[in-house]
Amino acid sequence: MKTTLIDSPVANVANIARALRVAGAELEITRDTDIIANAPKLVLPGVGSFVAAMRWLTENKIDAAIHEAVTRGATLLGICVGHQLLFDRSHEMGTTPGLGLVRGEVRQYDGILPVPQIGWNRITARGPLFEGVENGVFYFVNSYAAVDAPDEIARADYGGPFTAAVQHQRVFGVQFHPEKSSGAGLRVLRNYIAWT
Amino acid sequence: MDVIPSIDLLDGQVVRLLHGDFARVTAYGDPETVLDTLAVPRGSRLHVVDLEASRSGRPVETAIVRRLASRGLRIQAGGGIRSLADARTWIDAGAEKVVIGTVAADAPEVMQAIVGELGAERVIAAVDVRDGIVRVAGWEREATASLAEVLARVEELGIGEVLITDISKDGAMRGPSFALYRSLRTAMRIIASGGVSTMSDVVSLSRIQSVGACVIGRALLDGRIRLAEARTLVAAPNAIPERVIPCLDVRDGRVVKGVNFVDIRDAGDPVECAVLYESAGADELVILDISATDANRSTALDVVRHVSESLFIPLTVGGGVRTIEDFRALLRAGADRVAINTAAIRNPQLIADCAREFGVQAVVLSCDAKRAGDHFEAMVRGGRESSGVDAVEWCRRAEELGAGEILLTSVDRDGTNRGYDIELLRAVTSLVKIGVIASGGAGSVEHFRDAIEAGGARAVLAASLFHDRRLSIADVKQFLASEGIPVR
Repeated sequence: MKTTLIDSPVANVANIARALRVAGAELEITRDTDIIANAPKLVLPGVGSFVAAMRWLTENKIDAAIHEAVTRGATLLGICVGHQLLFDRSHEMGTTPGLGLVRGEVRQYDGILPVPQIGWNRITARGPLFEGVENGVFYFVNSYAAVDAPDEIARADYGGPFTAAVQHQRVFGVQFHPEKSSGAGLRVLRNYIAWT
Repeated sequence: MDVIPSIDLLDGQVVRLLHGDFARVTAYGDPETVLDTLAVPRGSRLHVVDLEASRSGRPVETAIVRRLASRGLRIQAGGGIRSLADARTWIDAGAEKVVIGTVAADAPEVMQAIVGELGAERVIAAVDVRDGIVRVAGWEREATASLAEVLARVEELGIGEVLITDISKDGAMRGPSFALYRSLRTAMRIIASGGVSTMSDVVSLSRIQSVGACVIGRALLDGRIRLAEARTLVAAPNAIPERVIPCLDVRDGRVVKGVNFVDIRDAGDPVECAVLYESAGADELVILDISATDANRSTALDVVRHVSESLFIPLTVGGGVRTIEDFRALLRAGADRVAINTAAIRNPQLIADCAREFGVQAVVLSCDAKRAGDHFEAMVRGGRESSGVDAVEWCRRAEELGAGEILLTSVDRDGTNRGYDIELLRAVTSLVKIGVIASGGAGSVEHFRDAIEAGGARAVLAASLFHDRRLSIADVKQFLASEGIPVR
């Protein structure tokens, strides 16, 4: 099955594409709303600001295309800010609605550790996305995260627990960077590609 | 590990003596006010030392202990307890435990009487050590027994906790004696005391298995450590792994490594090295283009492009970055983070501009520090030229400007294999909140541990040591893990 990587300008698409290919994906990279709306398996990357990433989605009607695909039964994986975009809303620079595909909100870390979190962190996970790496160590770069999300399938601790990954039906999100997480990250991508 | 606040009392006031000297007193006010300021919660253990009693052998601050105990604090009281009567005075005043030093070391029969009467669970043995030798009577003289003998003796009495203070470290803010605590062989819970001055010290102590608690005095009073934060940090169930980072010094497309930045020799192809290091467990890769300050830059961009295309761990690149456009070009070529050095010293605004444009996570301040008398100076142009800027202050400023991490290289230690400069690391890590990558001088697995444990570094970097295969990344990680330091 083909994997469709959404070609967001607010993301490091090249790195994620390379990792997906190494993980075995037959990949297409596109901004075309028709292709996205009809894709069976999507990846939504994102880095930097939630607001900018969400604005690009809405201005280019990618948000509607993603909703259409998910309604049709497509599988979706959000990565880093792409993961945050799946939630109901984010409180980064004011409050901005997200795609509302998983429940919960994204907030800034308010613990005692320096923000952003830059580095490796061990997660505790369950479910098919994390098969073989349930206690894996992944690479995070983030100032914002969901906490205790109802759809949480992985959590980690950064001066307090936070949601490291979510799953709601066919929609997945990972707060870390699988493309920078060496073998563990590639395993998650392989699991995603293999999941039906 | 429990974190126990500690107060020393003299004339009804909370005070500190430097190196136990009654002539060098700093006063902090009355105990209740001090404890409120420190936000010591009900139910907390509190270490109380009656300094007058430790000098004269007569308990005097019993009224204060009574008051504090009635506030729900679990007090361990000490200072000059020489007899069963002294010990009983403190217990009668409401102390949960007594802390007994001199007689524990020098008068086993008195200790036995106290334990027999009060119960071993109410007694903490206190041992003051200087240069491995037990000191007694307010640190004034050497004990007759050795440290090992004293420990064996109190353990035999059924005492479960021993408070061990390294006098040379106490109140001096130079960090606790990690080596001493690691070297002790005892089944008792060690309460570490003396020198705990940063949050990182607390975390490092909590990683030493035999250390069950630490007492903190001056660092709490001075606000360097906040009690609630320290307790949260050591209670975190998922300790964040520390990173081991190989560094490729690249000149004209080839990996090289110089000793003290001169006498450069060839050590391989960058892509080959990078892939090898990732499979060996490297947590990140740093490429420093050491030709960049002198020569052309396009070769360097090609190297970054090729390396990043074969790598699935974060890549930091530095060397010769002068402008926001240089920075952008490296990110475009595949770097995750870019280190700025010389240009930032000349134009600090570059840090702020890059942080705003690319995010603080992308900005690494690379600081080459060289000892200059009693301070460290930031060097420029590959460590060759002095800048006149204080290195430690410069790191603090860079954090303020928006650097996400600091790559701190000791120019004096670089290439020497004599170990990282712990003093330099502590000077910076105690001042900034962002992570510090230790660089320069690694020669053994212990050096990596010391940089993290005593230096407070969040990552350890080495180049020639790994290139020459004198140590593997796996060797380093295995050793760190065996020392209780979490690794990936």
